[in-house]
Amino acid sequence: MNDPFNLTRRYFLQGGGAGLGSLALGSLLGSEHGLHSSVVSKPKAKRIIYLFQSGGPSQLDLFDHKPGLKKRFGEEVPTSIYPDERKTKMSAAQSSFATAPSIFNFTRHGESGAWMSELLPHTAKMADELCIMRSLHTEAINHDPAITFLQTGSQIAGRPSMGAWMHYGLGSNNSDLPAFVAMSSRGKAKTGQPLYDRLWGAGFLPAKYQGIKFRNQGDPVLDIYDPPGVSREMRRRMLDSLKKLNHDRFSITQDPKIAARISQYELAYRMQTSVPGLLDFANEPKDTFDLYGEEAKKTGTYAYNCLMARRLAERGVRYIQLFHQGWDQHNNLPGQMRSQARDTDQATAGLLRDLKQRGMLDDTLVIWGGEFGRTVYSQGKLTEKNYGRDHHPGCFTMWMAGGGAKPGITYGQTDDYSTSVVKDPVHVNDLHATILKLMGIDHKRLTHFHQGREFRLTDVGGNPISDLMA
Amino acid sequence: MRIISIVLLFGTLGAAGKLSFNRDIRPILSNKCFACHGPDSKTREAKLRLDQRGSALKVIEPGAPDKSELIARIAHVDDEEMMPPPETNKSLSPEEILSLRKWIEEGAQFEPHWAFIPATRKNEPRNIDYFIIRRLRDSNLTLSSPASKETLIRRVSLDLTGIPASPEEVSAFVNDSSPDAYEKLIDRLLASPRYGEHMAAFWMEASRYADTDGYQNDRYRYQWAWRDWLIRALNQNLPYDKFITHQLAGDMLPDTTLHQQIATGFCRNHRINSEAGSIPEEWQAEYVADRVDTLGTVFLGLTVSCARCHDHKFDPISQKEYYQLFAYFNNIPEFGTGPNNGNSPPYIPVPKDYPNIDEATNKAQTPEPITWQKKGQYSGGVRRPVPGKENTVMVMHEQSIPRETYLLNRGLYNDPDKSEKLQPSTPSSLNTSEEKFEKNRLGLAQWLIHPKHPLTSRVAVNRYWQHFFGAGLVRTPENFGAQGEAPTHPELLDWLAVEFIENGWDVKALHKLIVMSMTYQQSSLTTSQLLALDPENRLLARAPRLRLTAFAIRDQALFASNLLVEKQYGPPAKPYMPPKIWSAISNNKYKRDIGDNLYRRSLYTYWRRTIPPPTMMTFNAGDREVCTIQQSRTNTPLQALTLMNNVAFVEASRFLAERILRTKGSPSEKIAIGYRILSGRTPSKETTERLAQDYKAYQSDFKNTPDKAAELLKIGDKAYNQDLNPTDLAAMTIVATTILNLDESLTRE
Repeated sequence: MNDPFNLTRRYFLQGGGAGLGSLALGSLLGSEHGLHSSVVSKPKAKRIIYLFQSGGPSQLDLFDHKPGLKKRFGEEVPTSIYPDERKTKMSAAQSSFATAPSIFNFTRHGESGAWMSELLPHTAKMADELCIMRSLHTEAINHDPAITFLQTGSQIAGRPSMGAWMHYGLGSNNSDLPAFVAMSSRGKAKTGQPLYDRLWGAGFLPAKYQGIKFRNQGDPVLDIYDPPGVSREMRRRMLDSLKKLNHDRFSITQDPKIAARISQYELAYRMQTSVPGLLDFANEPKDTFDLYGEEAKKTGTYAYNCLMARRLAERGVRYIQLFHQGWDQHNNLPGQMRSQARDTDQATAGLLRDLKQRGMLDDTLVIWGGEFGRTVYSQGKLTEKNYGRDHHPGCFTMWMAGGGAKPGITYGQTDDYSTSVVKDPVHVNDLHATILKLMGIDHKRLTHFHQGREFRLTDVGGNPISDLMA
Repeated sequence: MRIISIVLLFGTLGAAGKLSFNRDIRPILSNKCFACHGPDSKTREAKLRLDQRGSALKVIEPGAPDKSELIARIAHVDDEEMMPPPETNKSLSPEEILSLRKWIEEGAQFEPHWAFIPATRKNEPRNIDYFIIRRLRDSNLTLSSPASKETLIRRVSLDLTGIPASPEEVSAFVNDSSPDAYEKLIDRLLASPRYGEHMAAFWMEASRYADTDGYQNDRYRYQWAWRDWLIRALNQNLPYDKFITHQLAGDMLPDTTLHQQIATGFCRNHRINSEAGSIPEEWQAEYVADRVDTLGTVFLGLTVSCARCHDHKFDPISQKEYYQLFAYFNNIPEFGTGPNNGNSPPYIPVPKDYPNIDEATNKAQTPEPITWQKKGQYSGGVRRPVPGKENTVMVMHEQSIPRETYLLNRGLYNDPDKSEKLQPSTPSSLNTSEEKFEKNRLGLAQWLIHPKHPLTSRVAVNRYWQHFFGAGLVRTPENFGAQGEAPTHPELLDWLAVEFIENGWDVKALHKLIVMSMTYQQSSLTTSQLLALDPENRLLARAPRLRLTAFAIRDQALFASNLLVEKQYGPPAKPYMPPKIWSAISNNKYKRDIGDNLYRRSLYTYWRRTIPPPTMMTFNAGDREVCTIQQSRTNTPLQALTLMNNVAFVEASRFLAERILRTKGSPSEKIAIGYRILSGRTPSKETTERLAQDYKAYQSDFKNTPDKAAELLKIGDKAYNQDLNPTDLAAMTIVATTILNLDESLTRE
């Protein structure tokens, strides 16, 4: 007797199908095993929640305190500090590059004494959990290549996103939900650079490693609900017949891919069953909304997504990617930043505190940051109350928390103008290597053979930075 | 895994005997050694290269492995001495070391890489089956018996037209006992206008065709005239040499026509950046690089793009040669920053009704020089060209004063090596004929289509083979280089490559040759023994069973439900999409069409690059950001959700149900016809009776909940015919969904 599942297991172990051997096998069996034994050792974190702040939040107005700039208000930024050739075409033609100190007050927080501006009062209370990196730098100056770089390790489209790499390397912890979920929200400031499917895509990895987008409107997962009029009982009956007829066909054709299809339909059915419970916040106590804010009751807000992130993490989802749009302050920065911070600060801190209270912060790595920083000079007119800032790849700030990141430190240093890194630089490839390391993965060993060579998230660069790890 | 599976196959199935350098040795050296001892002069260590015998003999003593330093080093146990160094994770396996030993024992002969030698064939009458059967015989295997006629007509209809055969066509073919019944069928399918549409879909993916620009705000463009040129060219069976020439250099032909000029849109299908802060020089270089990379993938089957930043690590393409290819495409009057919606210069007007134009209208146009949008519209006064409107198409055009080309250090636009101005030229390792060609795009095309070119024909026939068998004879269709896979049937590949050229690059004739073979016509049923022996079906002892492509799955559902609207050409269609598909993450709204455009073939679906149609992506369509020529066929729960719940498929189920209900007979007889519409075959009585039982159960459910039936029947724009009983229709809709979801329906057997 040929059991289709046994046959399938053998077939894939022999390198059939996608040629991924035991990898392809994983998803057939519901919960996946990934590459574990060969690549993973001593993971500090089991899962990642990445709070991507899309648009490029101003490091100068949030974390990178430059008190010396106050007295230089309005002075030209010297070209020795800021050379012309990498200014974007949006501001390169300006007649003046006036120094714009932050309008916001900075104070030190927690025992670690981390500097943060008044825009982030809630995050500030979690200062001792944060591993603040002020010395990130990137290679791209436009949104699309920069965000693609942060998310995939390359400016060129077509590479897998970090979540897809994790899914590929670590497999899934949950047989009813996808291993990699992406969500997006948009601030009240209503400005926003678009997002693209490639940011949670599988690139050249098999498509099943891609992030599943949880949507703001309509079905949270595309086509997750049965069509109106079709009951669960009808669907069960239909699937039973489908399974029987597919099985009949298998016994004639002996094609192991039929067994794979049968299990994918069963997984789909289980996903349909588990998603409503996931979406139902009714059982969340009042405390939860004190933490995340009342906004968390509104589908599609950043706060809602943060709470959803915790619920997904509880259910074993491996990689949870949030995007919050609107951090692109070319003009009217003070007003827009206040609005952006209001939309995100409480929920970000709430998520950290919630994870901590539940004992989940130890093995959940939370990452916060955007695709680049912003210029010290004002884009457009500088006044006492208003200014804008253009894109700036030379330095920007990100932070990590939990999951083995070293808590309560501020790492790296920029020059007096927050223009170049002067100490302990963190390249995007280094960041990726560090994140992988915290997940127990040697970034040089998580590779995929494509177009004649082994590719990896960090491409040909990157070193894990031990000072960032607890 | 890739290497292992080859070893398994040729190790266990293949004949032992003398090792072949290209088959057995080059893959090891390339994968493990070339990165430091290969073609790239900059990273070469110890002045040793192992891709050339002269240099390699420094560490190899032919006939004496024990005296060869190569063997001493790869077998060394000391980390300091061991090669490759342990930290590279490239250490050789014991089998690999044994192979190298044996090869040195046998004299350490090198061979030029097979793909860089022009294909030849013996002057003997041969055909496809000869090569396949001969290889099978080496492994004591044979072809499977022929597929049933029902299976065969569905298979070949889907492969040639993307649409299954109708039940009437199946019956006619089954009942046609004339000896040329199959050939007549092939000729009919090749002449069908559906053929060009189906084949166009693959080339659109390869040439990264889309309806938007692809960066950031992903602005609109109007490029469908090129797509329509493509469909027409494929249906008219434009020979492949002309197909290449027109797309690369149609504008440069003597007495060029409008069709030929529009064909060059191929070189303009790349992404274009309109982002406000972008630096035009940076992006202009990016577009030219995209043209080179696409040329490399689709025509040369080489990873040319690797040489953009450094000499190629594995294949003989230097960085300088990359920029000499770059120079061919670097001379058009274009501007790096896009216009923000609309076509980027150069573009030309497209006559109404294109491509159905008369000879008088088929006249080439000269693109207008770039004009500039007024200043002040954007912050900082970003300069942008005036865009072409909907009645234009982007094409290639040569500027009178050539743009200068230099090698770009590390591929960076702002780091040119000004010490040497580069002229267009082709990589020397691929110059296998003596003939000299003009140093322009037309010369480049003529170089490609020269009968002595080692790659063009091989790469093309391999891609067609992949179309009909799911995998190429070279299973890395984008890479015929040292790191690509060796062909499973090298002589067949070359035989086909020569046949294609000698037959005047006649594409339809080649397709006919393939589908007329016994190899193609055999059954796809397999056994566990055969599966264990050849899990990847490299030897073709059976026909492959392949899941349909994304486009074919949707088109089949529309066809089976009689919803398909077969209108050719024209602006893209906007079928159903999930709510707010664009506006949730971008600054545009998707407004879907109503009426006929909901039901057109999928190749006409509006393609937004940054948010491609999710249903298509779920079934592994390429995203059109860069050129792709190999589709994976995965199997995921999202596919199940789409086929069961997506509005397009529920609506198709409703209309398939209607079609079923309108046939005569008992419920199980009716259902048998529905099954036949999808699978081409009559199901067993047991099957139809089971589905008829389901039907009865759904009927009684809906009888008790008529409002539920009404809800289901409201899904999709098209109203059902009121003369049908809503309870019956709703119940049969779920049965129809079952049939549409069968593995057998989604698979070409």
